Amino acid sequence: MKTNESIMVVDDDRDFLDIIRKILEKKGYKISAVPSAGEAISLLKKGFYNAAILDISLPDADGTELLSNILALHPDIVTIMLTGHSSVKNAVQSLNRGAFAYLEKPVDPENLLTVINKGLEKQRLVFENRQLVNELERHNHITNTLLTVSQAVARTLDLQEIIDTALEKVADCTGVEASFVYLREKDHLKFMGHHGLPMTIIKDIPKKVSGTEGIFSNLTEQSGAIIIEDMAKLEESDLKFLKKADYRSFAGVPLTILGENIGVLGIATDFNQIFSPNNIDLLNGIGREIAIAVRNAQLYEEASSARALRELDSMRTAFLANVSHELRTPLAVIKGSANSLLQPDVIFDDQTRRDFLLSIDKDADTLTRLVDDLLMISRLEANALEVKKKKVNLSDVIKAIKDRLDNLTVKHRLHINIAKEITTLNIDEGRIGEVLTNLVENAVKFSDDDTDIYIKATHNNKKATISVADEGIGISPELHQKIFERFFQGDGRKAGRRKGTGLGLAICQGIIEAHGGKIWVESKPGSGAKFSFSLPLD
Amino acid sequence: MDKKHILIVDDDPAILRLLSTNLKARGYEIYTATDGEESLEAVQRDFVDLIILDLMMPKVDGVEVCRRIREWSDVPIIILSARGDENDKVKCLELGADDYLTKPFGIAELLARIKTAFRHRGDPSVAPAQATFACDGLEINYAKRRVTVDGKEITLTPTEFALLQHLAVNSDKVLTHNMLLQSVWGNEYSSEKEYLRVFVGRLRRKLEPDPKNPKYIQTIPGVGYHIATSPASVT
Repeated sequence: MKTNESIMVVDDDRDFLDIIRKILEKKGYKISAVPSAGEAISLLKKGFYNAAILDISLPDADGTELLSNILALHPDIVTIMLTGHSSVKNAVQSLNRGAFAYLEKPVDPENLLTVINKGLEKQRLVFENRQLVNELERHNHITNTLLTVSQAVARTLDLQEIIDTALEKVADCTGVEASFVYLREKDHLKFMGHHGLPMTIIKDIPKKVSGTEGIFSNLTEQSGAIIIEDMAKLEESDLKFLKKADYRSFAGVPLTILGENIGVLGIATDFNQIFSPNNIDLLNGIGREIAIAVRNAQLYEEASSARALRELDSMRTAFLANVSHELRTPLAVIKGSANSLLQPDVIFDDQTRRDFLLSIDKDADTLTRLVDDLLMISRLEANALEVKKKKVNLSDVIKAIKDRLDNLTVKHRLHINIAKEITTLNIDEGRIGEVLTNLVENAVKFSDDDTDIYIKATHNNKKATISVADEGIGISPELHQKIFERFFQGDGRKAGRRKGTGLGLAICQGIIEAHGGKIWVESKPGSGAKFSFSLPLD
Repeated sequence: MDKKHILIVDDDPAILRLLSTNLKARGYEIYTATDGEESLEAVQRDFVDLIILDLMMPKVDGVEVCRRIREWSDVPIIILSARGDENDKVKCLELGADDYLTKPFGIAELLARIKTAFRHRGDPSVAPAQATFACDGLEINYAKRRVTVDGKEITLTPTEFALLQHLAVNSDKVLTHNMLLQSVWGNEYSSEKEYLRVFVGRLRRKLEPDPKNPKYIQTIPGVGYHIATSPASVT
C-alpha cells in the first residue's frame, strides 16, 4: 500500500524506533524517527506530518509538553501517546490536551496500526470538510464579486461611468493594486480609464495600442486571460508603463461578449502574484460582466446618435420646406404682377399698372430681406456670427436707430426710458440696434394704432436689461418658447399687414446669446407683450 | 350669361390684390377672405362658383377649409399654394380639391385652370348625344348631371362628374392616361398623372360597392381606364 501520509515517531529507545519504523514503512507511510523532543520540534517547524507517535517520557522534555508544542504548531496532527504502565495518569492528561489516543508499552503492532488508521481516517474527513467549506466560500466570494460588479455597472448607460465603476469594484473585490481598461475601436484599442495607477506614470500610458499586433492582439474568450507572473521577464511591450512603476505581475482579462472581443481589463500587482485558476476564473467572470455593460452602453450610444441624426435630418427637411415656402410667396407676387402686365388680352389702366410695379418693388424688398435673414440664420447656426464688441453708450445705440423707430411707430406713441446709471455697454452696436428695431417692429405689427410702446432699460451689478413693451394682442403662455423658433409666424397681426419672414425673433435670440445674454417674453393674451433681453455688464 | 363669382382666400394682401385685379379684368365677380374661418363664412353667405384657396393660413388652414366645404358643397376648388410637395398635392386632391397650382404661377395658367374647372361644372353645349347611360345598376343622366347606383343618388363634384361622363360616353373603349387627362382637364395637364389616380379613386369610393374590386371603372395596368358594359367588350 502506498500513501503520501507521513508519521513522526519520537522515542529515546533507538531499538524501539527501528522496529516501529519498519512496521510503519511496510504499510507505506513516510517515517521520520527521532530520539528527542528538540529534534522533533525542529523537524515539525520545517513541515507538516499527518501523525506523531510520542513517548510520554523523553530525556529532554515531558511528552505532554511536547504534545502541546506540536499541536500549537500543527493543530491537525494526529497524536498518539505511548506510555509506560506507571504513567496512565499522564496519558489521560494528554487526551485532555488534544492527543488522539494513547497506547501502553509494550505496543502491540496490530493495535498501533489500527489506532493510526482511525486517527488518519478522522484527519482525512476533517481535511475534506475543510476543503468543501473553502470551496463553498470561494464560490460565494466569486458570486458576490460578480454580483457586485454587475450591479454596479448596470446602474448606468454612460460608458465612462461604467468603466470607472467597474475598475473601482475590481479593486474592492479582488484587492489588486491597479487596474485599467482598453476598449477596441476598429483596429486599435483605446485607453478608457484606470484605478490605482500612480500619477507619475499616467503620461506614459499609451492612449492607443494596436489591436492587431502586440500583447492584446490575440485576446479572445477562448484564449482566456494573459498572465505575466514576473514583469521583470517581460520584453519591450505596450505594458512598459507598468514596469516603470515597479508592478511585478500582470493579468490581461479579455472583455468578450457573444464571442467578440471588445477590449481588455488589465490588472497589476505589487508582488509576484501567482494567479490561481480560481483567481483567473473570477477575473474572466468580471471581464464578461463588464463586457455586457460596455456593449449595452455602446448600443445605447449608437441608438441615441442615430436618433439625434434623424431628428437633425427632419429639422433640416422642415427648414428647407419652410425656406422654399417663404421664398415662393414673394416670388408669386413678383412673377404674378410682371406676368399680369405681359398678358395680351387685357390692357390695365395706369394706376393698376403702377400698383403692379409697386407690388413687384415691395416684394423684391421682402425677398431681399428674407435672403438677408436666411444668411443671418445660417451664420448663427454655424456659430459664425461676427460680434464686433466695443464700449458704447446705450443712448447712442438708440440715437442711431431713432429715425427708423420713429418711422415704424408713426401711428403709435413711443416712450424711451433709460436708467441714467447705465453708461456704457460692451456690445456690437449695430446688432443690438437690429434687435431693438425688430422688437419695436413686432410691437407695431401686433398692436392697434394710437397705443403706447415703451423702450425701457434698467440694470443691476451684473447686467443691463432692456425691454420693449406694447399694448397689443399679447401671446399665450404656451407660445412663449415657440415664438423664438425659426419660421414661427404669429396669428393676429392687423388686417392688411404683410407677414414677416418668421425669422426675426430667432435672429434676435441668436444675437443676444452671442453677447452672452438672454431674451424672453412676458405676456398674456389681450394684455400686451413685453420682450426683454439682458446683456452682461463686463 | 351671368358673371361667375370667385372667392379668393389668401392671407397675403398682395396676392389677393394681384388675383382680384386680374380676375376682375376678365369679367369675374370677386370676393376675398384672409383666413380659413372668414372663407367658410363667405362660402355659406355668398353665391360662389369657384374658390381659389391658399393652404397656409391662420386660424383654419386651407386643407381643413377644403375638407369642410366638401361636406356640403361641390363648388370647384383650386388650391394655390407655396407648398410644392407632391404629398400636399395628392392630399388636397384626395380631400376633394379639383386642382392644385404652385406659387409662383403664370396668370395665363391660372386662367386656364379656372376655365377647366368651369367646363367640368357642365356646359350643356358639350352634353353627349345620348341622354343617358346605364350599366349594371349604374345610371347617368347627362343632361340633369344626375348619377344613381341601384337607384340611390350619388353626389359628385363637377370634376368627378366630368371624368365619369367621359368614361361612360366612351364605354368599352380603353382610354389612356394621356387621353383622359387631355380630354377631361386639358392639354396642359398631360403630365399630372396623380390627378387621374386620385379622381378615379374618389369616383370608386362613391360608386363602387367594393372600391378595391371595382366593377364599373376598370384599370388597364400601365395603359389607362375603361368602363366595360359587357364582360369582353374591350375594343
